[in-house]
Amino acid sequence: MAVETTTRAKLRWGLLDVVVVVFALIPVLWIASLSFKTPATLTDGRFWPREWTLDNYRTIFATDQFVRALVNSIGIALIATVIAVVLGAMAAYAISRLDFPGKRLLVGVSLLIAMFPQVSLVSPLFDIERQLGLFDTWPGLILPYITFALPLAIYTLSAFFKQIPWDLEKAAKMDGATQGQAFRRVIAPLAAPGLFTTAILVFIFCWNDFLFAISLTSTERSRTVPVALSFFTGESQFEDPTGAICAAAVVITIPIILFVLFFQRRIVSGLTSGAVKG
Amino acid sequence: MSDPDGTRRRPRVRALAAAAALTLVAPMAACGSGDDGGVPTINLYYPPEQNLQKVVDNCNAAAQGRYRIAYRVLPRQADDQRVQMVRRLAAQDPGMDVLGLDVTWTQEFASADWILEWTGQDKAEVEQGTLAGPLETARYQDKLFAAPKNTNVQLLWYRKDLVPEPPKSWDQMISAAQRLKQQGKPYQVLTMGAQYEGLVVLYNTLAESAGGHILSDDGKRAVMDEGTVRALEQLQRFATSGVTSPSFSNATEDPVRLEFQSGNGAFQVNWPFVYPAMQEANPELAKQVTWARVPGIDENTPSKVTIGGVNMAVSAYSEHPAESFEAAKCIRNAENQKFSAINDGVPPTIERIYADPEMTEAYPMKETILEELKEPATRPLTPAYQSISTVMSAMLSPPSAIDPQRTADELRGAIADALESKGVLP
Amino acid sequence: MSVNATPGGADVAADETATRSGARHAAVPAQRNRRRKPPLSENKKAERRLGWLLCAPAALVMVLVTAYPILYSVWLSLQRFDLRFPDQREFIGLENYVTVLTNEFWWTAFGVTALITVVTVAIELVLGMGLALIMHRTLVGRGIVRTAALIPYGIVTVVAAFSWRYAWTPGTGYLANLFSEGAPLTERASSLAIIMLAEIWKTTPFMALLLMAGLALVPEDLLKAASTDGATAWQRFTKVMLPVMKPAILVALLFRTLDAFRVFDNIFVLTAGGNETSSVSMLAYNNLIRGLNLGIGSTMSVLIFLTVAIIAFVFVKLFGTAAPGSDDGERR
Repeated sequence: MAVETTTRAKLRWGLLDVVVVVFALIPVLWIASLSFKTPATLTDGRFWPREWTLDNYRTIFATDQFVRALVNSIGIALIATVIAVVLGAMAAYAISRLDFPGKRLLVGVSLLIAMFPQVSLVSPLFDIERQLGLFDTWPGLILPYITFALPLAIYTLSAFFKQIPWDLEKAAKMDGATQGQAFRRVIAPLAAPGLFTTAILVFIFCWNDFLFAISLTSTERSRTVPVALSFFTGESQFEDPTGAICAAAVVITIPIILFVLFFQRRIVSGLTSGAVKG
Repeated sequence: MSDPDGTRRRPRVRALAAAAALTLVAPMAACGSGDDGGVPTINLYYPPEQNLQKVVDNCNAAAQGRYRIAYRVLPRQADDQRVQMVRRLAAQDPGMDVLGLDVTWTQEFASADWILEWTGQDKAEVEQGTLAGPLETARYQDKLFAAPKNTNVQLLWYRKDLVPEPPKSWDQMISAAQRLKQQGKPYQVLTMGAQYEGLVVLYNTLAESAGGHILSDDGKRAVMDEGTVRALEQLQRFATSGVTSPSFSNATEDPVRLEFQSGNGAFQVNWPFVYPAMQEANPELAKQVTWARVPGIDENTPSKVTIGGVNMAVSAYSEHPAESFEAAKCIRNAENQKFSAINDGVPPTIERIYADPEMTEAYPMKETILEELKEPATRPLTPAYQSISTVMSAMLSPPSAIDPQRTADELRGAIADALESKGVLP
Repeated sequence: MSVNATPGGADVAADETATRSGARHAAVPAQRNRRRKPPLSENKKAERRLGWLLCAPAALVMVLVTAYPILYSVWLSLQRFDLRFPDQREFIGLENYVTVLTNEFWWTAFGVTALITVVTVAIELVLGMGLALIMHRTLVGRGIVRTAALIPYGIVTVVAAFSWRYAWTPGTGYLANLFSEGAPLTERASSLAIIMLAEIWKTTPFMALLLMAGLALVPEDLLKAASTDGATAWQRFTKVMLPVMKPAILVALLFRTLDAFRVFDNIFVLTAGGNETSSVSMLAYNNLIRGLNLGIGSTMSVLIFLTVAIIAFVFVKLFGTAAPGSDDGERR
């Protein structure tokens, strides 16, 4: 693509950017706006709050319930993401690069696992975990998260590994690079977009899961944020703690933003002419 | 995976599996039930209630070291509460001792042998002074399986600046609202009509008020008699009268409260929580709002209003049943019920508490509540209630599309299937 | 070679991998098709061993965690089994399947689910591609656009659904007041439209992110060359970009479809299934979780699974060699 950095091109992209950001963020702003509304004006039909309040934020941080859940969520999602991406990358490398019997079986089976409705797997999983003493522990959630993230990880990564021009590695070595250098300078940068994309997707999957988290935990020891939201209480049985839930939703979006900010920079155009020379 | 030359590889794979298992299992330390110094811990699984911890503390102090109650909060949504308890009871989990059950689950848990019967002295204490309606919801096959902790009934809330006299029947209410509409005043009749439990509560109130029976008295057969058809007619007439909110067929408790609070409604049929909430959020409007018994089908026959609430039961898999019964009794004793009524707004099940002077301030509407509680409507008492409720809410939704006789016939068939756990739930 | 499940170990394995494949590539002429199988050489054996070794941890975890639950569900689907009436439990073969497949609730929900799946996935593919191009190519504020675009995917679904519900309820929400007099969530067509809008808003970023990573693999010099040869933007897109992105598109389509067919949260919150907007997952939930009818509920799960499997099979066939695990995937 022509790399013309004229003002007009910039303007055009800027306009498109605005469209994207507006489309993506208006509903998010609405949630944020709800979190700043007072109970009396919560549903007055206005987009922006008439009276601003921080009460909802004070409420969620008033006890350590929410903070504990945040710690659990971050820990569990990070560990599960790292393990799933590493295991997924190993398998994906083998699938896309090596020839061995059982490969198609693995690809097929992992897809089957991704397809089975999780709602009917939860009860048997609960039985197993209770017998193994995994119920209501971090590993008790990490294990299923890895399992159900792996199919996506394997598929994504093998799709990317397949498109990597592995011959470049050889070319680099001919240019005098050592094996390690060739891998680091040529293959790793090419694999990076796939790896970081997978990491983001797996992280968000673990972060947002409700079904496993509510079924396989019972105390604050391992309860994650989406589940903690369902334990928020209104003033009485029928009052929804909408403000507090929205405030919590805003707060728990921040780690996602940080995570994405950190990783998206690595999803760049992998293959430029510069990459080959290292 | 097939493995032709596996002999050499196998030990390594096994070592790997073992290593993986170890890394995953190691971090979790002992997770026993933590009995400190022989004092049994009674795990109380109960829906979220803001000040229940205070009640638990009182009971722990009163127990003087015989047991220690730990309040394990259940999720807010009823479905989530039930499924968590069911899953663990079906797995015979000893980690749950005392359970806070919605009144509609008691028969289900009892029939599955998940909860223990209350007998002897315990039973006598629970039955002593407790209102008959709530007590009825705690029985299964004439045995007592739970102790009612709190009850609940909906009231008619209306604007006294718009409506001089509360309507005695639904039709009166509809005409009053239509008149207000013509005068260009706030006129809506707001209540819950979404496809969920709230719609079943509304229909049950109408059916019982019309003298109808959804099930036979023993709970074994689907009846859907004359009265239930009249209730269907009433519900359909209401939904198509032009006085409901446009959102009626998607409305649940809190949105109904909020819509009334914003001033659109002249009438609201809802639980008592709306009153303190309105005083806080819109005190001006609250001054104009008063309450009455929910209207009936005939103006001369008072309504029978569906009761809700929570029953306390003891898990069949509890390792400390004696202490659990004692703990359950403490949490629902008169003093603690009064505390919860005043601080958490949950109506007591012990009749004499309503006469307590301290109740007057927190419960200005206590007379009306008590009046309704004395002639209550219970939802069908059967182990299959959840299935019946799912079927009914689906077939009654949207209420404007009800065709009374046909809907009644369809419901009869579907409920009969649900009672036998046949067929598919919608 | 020592292999264990820690990240450190994986590094070792990856280095090893690089060495071996490098060695293999040096030995085998690059253009030669790998499918032509010579008698099992030492290299070949080593390759097999490495392949198994690399896949073993992932395969083990997946099988250990899911084998029993999945087989158990299938077994339950062949039984009459209501958790509340355990005495009546019996093996009834395919009777549950007959019950479900002759039920009109099931087919209504199936139609709704299919509609939602087709419409949302199609729109998401187009929007996602556009979004990916913008996120990938934009000259200004790339970080902001990428991050902002991904936020919807990161928001907890149930919360987002509640906010949509508030927004579309007359009197309380900004959107309902904007559009019409009635309550859009109380009518079938508008409810479905809102459910789909909520789905599309939420999951387009998933599609876009996968496609963007695919775009990252398109060689710049190839695009430049095409441009010099006078190819239009559309030609560059269809002739240069799309072929390279094919595997990424397949994965994005496949996993979005699997997910879309199991739509639950948005419907549960927005309409609770009112006005015939139930999906098959909601039906399964009602039978399994609310009704505690493990037999019928599991049957529905198996049927959902089979449907999704057929869709996946069709996709994989359509995409042919772009599918992971197919032998001819190597890029020339």
